[in-house]
Amino acid sequence: MSRVRLTSITKTYYGATLAVDNVTLDVAEGEFVTLLGPSGCGKTTTLRMIAGLIEPSAGQIFFDDQDVTFIPPNARNIGFAFQTPALFPHLSVYDNVAFGLSVKGRDKTQIRNRVEDMLMLVELAGYEKRFPAQLSGGQQQRVSLARMLATDPRVLLFDEPLSALDKNLRDTLKYSILDLQRKTRKTAIYVTHDQSEAFAISDRIVVMNAGRVEQIGAQTDIYLRPATPFVAEFIGANNSLIGKVNTVEPLAEGARVTVIADGVTLRCQTPAAFTVGDSVIAYIRPENIVILNDGEASNYTNILAGTIDRVIFEGATAQLRVNVNGREFRADVTCGQRLSLGRQHGPIRLGFNEVTLIGARQ
Amino acid sequence: MSSRRLTDLLSHAYLWFCLILFILPFLALLGYSVTGPGGAYAIENFKYVLGSFGSNLGWSFRISGLTLLLNAIFSLPCAYALVRFNFPGKRFLFSGLTLPLYVPGAVMGLSLVLTYNFTYRLTNSIWGLVFAMTVGTFPLMLTPLVVALKDLPPVYEEAAQCLGATKWQTYWRVVFPLIGPGLSAGLLLSFIIVFNEYLVTLFVHPTGVTTAPLRVFNLVRTAGLQPTTAALAVTMQLISFVAVLAFFRLFGTRYLKGTYLI
Repeated sequence: MSRVRLTSITKTYYGATLAVDNVTLDVAEGEFVTLLGPSGCGKTTTLRMIAGLIEPSAGQIFFDDQDVTFIPPNARNIGFAFQTPALFPHLSVYDNVAFGLSVKGRDKTQIRNRVEDMLMLVELAGYEKRFPAQLSGGQQQRVSLARMLATDPRVLLFDEPLSALDKNLRDTLKYSILDLQRKTRKTAIYVTHDQSEAFAISDRIVVMNAGRVEQIGAQTDIYLRPATPFVAEFIGANNSLIGKVNTVEPLAEGARVTVIADGVTLRCQTPAAFTVGDSVIAYIRPENIVILNDGEASNYTNILAGTIDRVIFEGATAQLRVNVNGREFRADVTCGQRLSLGRQHGPIRLGFNEVTLIGARQ
Repeated sequence: MSSRRLTDLLSHAYLWFCLILFILPFLALLGYSVTGPGGAYAIENFKYVLGSFGSNLGWSFRISGLTLLLNAIFSLPCAYALVRFNFPGKRFLFSGLTLPLYVPGAVMGLSLVLTYNFTYRLTNSIWGLVFAMTVGTFPLMLTPLVVALKDLPPVYEEAAQCLGATKWQTYWRVVFPLIGPGLSAGLLLSFIIVFNEYLVTLFVHPTGVTTAPLRVFNLVRTAGLQPTTAALAVTMQLISFVAVLAFFRLFGTRYLKGTYLI
């Protein structure tokens, strides 16, 4: 149970490729933080540096006040879950879970009690004598969780531990992982490229791209207030329009702004300060767009007229592709709503309030 | 009879034909080894195997044992370095290390005699012979180890380290057990070669040390082929067979099917 701090951690390969670029992160004791990003964004490299499996090229890593930057993994007292369960195939479930305690030379009774407790915790009591090859994928991953918890590590590190499992199992296991972390109150750092996984289990999310941290925040921050174009585009689906700020009306907090983008005028409130003429990207989430019936009165700040090009049925929701001034908008509606539209193609009006503005990189 | 059945029968017959063809020399030797004077059955030929040939077999076992031990000590770190680390000239180095495989025994023997001339001690101790055997069989030990290590994902070592195991604990408890089949394959191949090698032994054996194959060679040269010599030869052959069968029994199918690692 340690606080984990990374200060300006950088990793270059062969002195050239920047895998991780100046990452600074502070994870509180008992916090569950997820590193989220596309593959190759440096999240796994960052995690492996926290574990000590890779040495950083620059920067420091602290567990509480101890500088662990160059301490080998076996002296860090960590628990690491790999993409595969990585159970030792020549050892029984019991010996796998006991491994960490036995290399530290704990006495037999102590080990037996601990292993029993751990297997109870992951609901696999009675499987002691099985070998990894005799277990299902989900059971293997649970044994590996028991194994990493057995040594009572200071920090739990997860490197996409569920990516090799099928979807149903992933859904159950991600909550098991969260439960275990809550029960043991251990600091956890979790790496994934799966947004729903990250959103379901994290206290805070660190969005990474190209070796850099794009944004650190709670789910709502990341989702509702993306700090960079990358985050806005990576998280969920987004309609994005590039335009310029047309008018600015300052408020007590932030400003009321109009933006002309792709021939469409958008009105919105924004906490950030913009001036007239700034290049901005406007993001509108498909799920925030409402389809208005003909002649229906409404008080949405933005109402756009368009025609439905395509309807994509996705089960619980349907995606509408709407042509507005020659530009395609995506709107997500519930299936009931779609059916009440009565027709699939033709003129329609889109209403929405929320628009996120992010200054475009010059 | 359908043509399908005929083909089956023919292919079956062909396999038996090959088998008999290849084990025929051994069967002839086996027959000769139990032939007494006047063509009578004489199992007593084999009593020499435990009697006067006993010391020859003893030397063979001793030389093989020491060679295998030395070989394992040398090739394990070597294979590990070749597989787990990247460095320039790796492929070249690996090819170089397997070179002794392609050196004829006589050439090897001659070059060793030349080398040992500088150190008289080696010529007069069994270590000279053991080193010669180690050099000759090193590639046979190294190659299966390299293959086994390549098949072993590094994640097991990383998992062990994260669980608190030191480097040595990781080698002993995780790496070595998991490359057991590769190690055994190397030991088996080396054993069969060392146990039966006479040519290199002929060049570098110290006086008073006569291994079983060398004894067979000497006897055939001086006394012609005697049934008692054949008995020794058969015994050597059986020892090699038993070693191979034991390997297949212990590791064979599991290792060959590739199911050893999940």
